[in-house]
Amino acid sequence: MIPFMADGAAVTCRFTTGESTALADLAQQLIDLLSERAPDTAGSVLFAQLGIGGESSGPLDPALARLLPDAYRGDVEAASEHRQLTERSLVERKIANARVVIASLDSAILERTELRLEPSEVQSWLRTLTDLRLALAARLQIADDGDNGIGDDEALMVYNWLGYLQGSMVEVIE
Amino acid sequence: MVGVAQLVERWLVEPDVAGSSPVVHPNLNSQVGEVWVVESIVSTAIIAQPDVDRREQLIADVPWVTIIWNDPVNLQSYVAYVFRSYFGFSRAEAERRMLLVHNEGKAVVATGAREQMERHVEAMHDFGLWATLTRSDS
Repeated sequence: MIPFMADGAAVTCRFTTGESTALADLAQQLIDLLSERAPDTAGSVLFAQLGIGGESSGPLDPALARLLPDAYRGDVEAASEHRQLTERSLVERKIANARVVIASLDSAILERTELRLEPSEVQSWLRTLTDLRLALAARLQIADDGDNGIGDDEALMVYNWLGYLQGSMVEVIE
Repeated sequence: MVGVAQLVERWLVEPDVAGSSPVVHPNLNSQVGEVWVVESIVSTAIIAQPDVDRREQLIADVPWVTIIWNDPVNLQSYVAYVFRSYFGFSRAEAERRMLLVHNEGKAVVATGAREQMERHVEAMHDFGLWATLTRSDS
């Protein structure tokens, strides 16, 4: 791939089809993971708007726990209340961001053009790249700065590649 | 950083979420939605009101702070970008607070009313930063 470049307010990047497909697949996995916390049942949208029916305790899965952290530390009750009111919409925003990433990759693949992201899409990309890295880091059990985690070399490679992408993107928009 | 406007805003928004939201102070629910409360905050008539203690408690209730915790995942450049773009810090200030997070393990990035800090924390969770809020004296 050629790293991100600025084109006016937009950001462009040329991925290989393999890279695009891999990234879209990762984004879909993120959606699947997050969907565990936002079951798409009848009435859930209404409940979400009313701020009720959300989970009251944090996810047991460490990846989800890092994506959806407690807003209060050392205050279980406040954290639980806040989670009940806000988690569902946070999950939905994260899923929406990942969908933006998939849609922009799909259209670039389909039209065989370079990837071109408008500023609002860039915001979704930044957040999704971060969420993917957080989830992968939890899987790799990366606990400290400079830690390479344990196990899976391929996952670590993907993790580092996503970091490279994000670093390039931040550099361009800054 | 906490002004009268924020206090008023906080009172005004409470009726929508009364009884269920963590932004509602447990001792204040009974007054929610009454117009005089809003007026009294912006006027000197405050001392003539019977529930002055409660209002003082409300004022003592702020400020709260938004804290960002260090994590081994997020890039320093990204954290600085989030601080600059979301909180409006200058490049130098964003960089300084990012380094505080990195070196000290955490940094305060905002101070204000509880509800406002909850919104900041949500926004930070959107960005994937590890954020919490707490009373500034805790």
